[in-house]
Amino acid sequence: MDVIVCVKQVPEVIDADLKISREGTGIEKEDLVMHINDWDNYAVEEAVCIKETQGGTVTAITIGDDESEDVLRRALAMGADKAIRIDPGERELDGFVISKILAKVIKDLEYHLVLTGVQADDDNSGMVGIMLAETLGLSHAAVVTGVEPEGDLARIRVELEGGMDEVSRIQLPSLLTIQTGINEPRYVSIMGIRKAGKKELTVIPVANLGLSEDDLTPRTRIEEVFLPPETTGAEMIEGDAASVAAELIKIIKEKGVSI
Amino acid sequence: MVTPYRVSYWSIESVWIFYVLAALAVAVFVFGVISHVSVWSRGARRQGIGFSGQGIFNLFLDGLLGRRIFSGDVAAGTMHLLILWGFLGLFAGTVLISADYWVYHFLKGPVYIGYSICLEFFGLMLAIGLVWALIRRYLQRVTRLERRIEDLIVPVWLLVVVLSGFLVEGVRLSAQRPEWGGWSFIGHVISLFWSDPRGALSIYPYVWWSHAILSLGLVAAIPFCKLFHVLAAPLSIYMEDRPDLPMPAETVTGDEEVFSSRQMIFFDACTRCGRCVEVCPSAGAGEPFSPREFIAAVREDLLLRHHPLKGLDWFSRWSDPRKAEKPDLDPQKVWHCTTCRACLEVCPVYVATPKVIERARSRVVEDGTQVPLLLSQTLEKLYKYNNPWEASKKNRAKWSQDLEISDLTKTGEEDPLCYFVGCTTALDTRAQDLARSFARILKHAGVPFGTLGKNEPCCGDIARRVGEDGLFEEQMESCLALFGRNNIRRVVTSSPHCFHTFRNEYPTFQALRPPDEKVHFDVRHYTQVIGELVSEGSIRFEKRLNIKVTYHDPCYLGRHNRVYDEPRKVIRSIPGIELVEMSHNRANSLCCGGGGGRMWQQDLDSKIKMSEIRIREAAETGAEIVITACPLCLIMLEDARKTASLEDTLRVMDLNELVVMALGLRSEGGE
Repeated sequence: MDVIVCVKQVPEVIDADLKISREGTGIEKEDLVMHINDWDNYAVEEAVCIKETQGGTVTAITIGDDESEDVLRRALAMGADKAIRIDPGERELDGFVISKILAKVIKDLEYHLVLTGVQADDDNSGMVGIMLAETLGLSHAAVVTGVEPEGDLARIRVELEGGMDEVSRIQLPSLLTIQTGINEPRYVSIMGIRKAGKKELTVIPVANLGLSEDDLTPRTRIEEVFLPPETTGAEMIEGDAASVAAELIKIIKEKGVSI
Repeated sequence: MVTPYRVSYWSIESVWIFYVLAALAVAVFVFGVISHVSVWSRGARRQGIGFSGQGIFNLFLDGLLGRRIFSGDVAAGTMHLLILWGFLGLFAGTVLISADYWVYHFLKGPVYIGYSICLEFFGLMLAIGLVWALIRRYLQRVTRLERRIEDLIVPVWLLVVVLSGFLVEGVRLSAQRPEWGGWSFIGHVISLFWSDPRGALSIYPYVWWSHAILSLGLVAAIPFCKLFHVLAAPLSIYMEDRPDLPMPAETVTGDEEVFSSRQMIFFDACTRCGRCVEVCPSAGAGEPFSPREFIAAVREDLLLRHHPLKGLDWFSRWSDPRKAEKPDLDPQKVWHCTTCRACLEVCPVYVATPKVIERARSRVVEDGTQVPLLLSQTLEKLYKYNNPWEASKKNRAKWSQDLEISDLTKTGEEDPLCYFVGCTTALDTRAQDLARSFARILKHAGVPFGTLGKNEPCCGDIARRVGEDGLFEEQMESCLALFGRNNIRRVVTSSPHCFHTFRNEYPTFQALRPPDEKVHFDVRHYTQVIGELVSEGSIRFEKRLNIKVTYHDPCYLGRHNRVYDEPRKVIRSIPGIELVEMSHNRANSLCCGGGGGRMWQQDLDSKIKMSEIRIREAAETGAEIVITACPLCLIMLEDARKTASLEDTLRVMDLNELVVMALGLRSEGGE
């Protein structure tokens, strides 16, 4: 079974001081540590697991500058066979443009399954997967927490609202957006990444794809990025541990706790 | 008077049968040895067996004199010496009698008498040693000794061989009645049993053949039981003194074993004496790990996979179920070890379990699918943030905000003293006080120094300990490049772990570099620097501190690097202070449980935490403060103090904090 998995490089923001860029429409990314989008990491692991049990190939695709090849090499080290990077140059991207570009490349490849993450850590829009399925004319399922291929079908588990799961069969080829927790992504060692450097990695400039100007025009525009305004209501409790704890208990008792 | 001598094969017919049996026994023996050697030859070959004077010397001390078997267990040492010398003596006797028969007849007259007496003594030694061994194992039931079938058969078989040897001699003396028979004092006593020489003569061939077959069988069995240590242990001891050559991750290919040939010889030297189990902190805490079982599992796995007969049907029929039981070694079993080195310290044959563990971990890490979740997250953090604490660069130097410490990456000083703070000391709120205290002490003593500020990287210790060698090498490269760029030649570390990595791991890798790419630097641990400042009088303690303290030796400072005295000297130089020792101290100090990457892993099903065992031992001394000299020990013991409900009676302090307190400098730490 041949699987295509779409990955994205995103900034790590846990301990970072985020600064809004000068244009006011994004954040400054220079000093940020970049890594693979968490959801995509699970998608790659799932693709590799499918390959390990079913045979076939895994192809990883990303859109980004040469630094984003790191996530492709990581996917190759995890067990992907080939990688494709589409260089967007200076073009502005949004979910629409990304899905058009991906669809154009994937259209000509052999595949039974296309996997993407549910969403990306950076802007959390969660659009690309389903838009890509629509552009490619594929059946799709979103927020998938289990995949078991069965011939030309796949048994899939989908996370619903309110802690419910739904199990269904989907006709292949199809597109699944993968939820975190579907598996335990393997550890990728530095040596593994270095050795994966020998695997095939193709770079395609977006201009070579022959997409129309309309397909490459973003449908969304960020007008302003800003910090939420400071509000009142926060109370700093000061003092030693014992008095802080006593004060806390008092407040919790007064206000009540609902679980 | 007739010249005393002995007729070989006296009154034995069909001697050729003996030679056929002997040839068979030797063939089986040689085949057994070959199967071990063929495993060794599959090991990563990073180490030659050249001549080594020190190796010979160690062989003499540890082999012939049994130095390491004696240490800590005089009874075991004496018992083993009796067996060893008895065995060697009888072996030499056999060689001599063969030479006498085949080459030159010299065992006659007084030489023969001397020969007889010596053999009596050697036989007696061996017999006493073996009986003692059996008593220790089965009557005294020494805890560390196991009672498996093999443990019974081997000594009993040897004993039967020795006793049957005496019997052969006694019967022969009874049948021959030579006038010099009395010199063989044991044989002589046995010979008195038969009043009629003919009676003795009639049973003599049976006794002789039984002894011969038992002895030849024993020779054949040597490579297949724990007796193989008579060959592997001397080799292991001989090879011990040479430093481990590194295996750069780049050079390790998937088809090669991760263990070196030398380590494989170590495995075969193991006799399951169990000293490692007794001292292993993980086993002591009730975790499902023991160095002995681990080494045995690795050894069996290797032997089954590389055995010369592995292609044969019947062999795979026998070995496959065994392999299935231990599918390529349980990857879960490699994470318990804290690499504290306690096992190596007591191992009579130098089985370096911590190093072996690191190699075994490298295999699990390269595979990637079985790395415990928390550990794989830690490794990701190490890669992304260059520290295991997920802290971005800007927070690295926050501990020193109000201390005005120069940043060596900016000042461009010539030959500065570089204080390498280390990830945990720089970033953990409890451990930061160690750094602040040390900086104050250096300032107080007027020692100019600086740090690498927010550019300080991780030294690579954690990656190295958990087998992520590629990451370790990258971190080492960036560390060395930073040192080189900023002319750093003198480094002092907070952590014994950084100290060890700089002092012992970097040089072996640097040895592989061309000379002009080497970065030379000296590294000391802070206890050594403070020790020196106290000695030369730059630090003087005037205030009396009337307290009782005890000192916990960090594994990587003590056992791994032999720094035991400096911290104690600093403590003792404080007037009024009373230093008491815990029952485990110096080389047999107990690990706090934080090393070998354990600090950044989930708790592994123990009955009691290692740190809790240690803190309780500290409390038993009646000390008010436990002093340590490692940020990991500090954190582990501090936590243990709380979980063991010792908060009111016992404090945990770093040596720096104690010094700051004694000097009356401001300290916010400790409590």
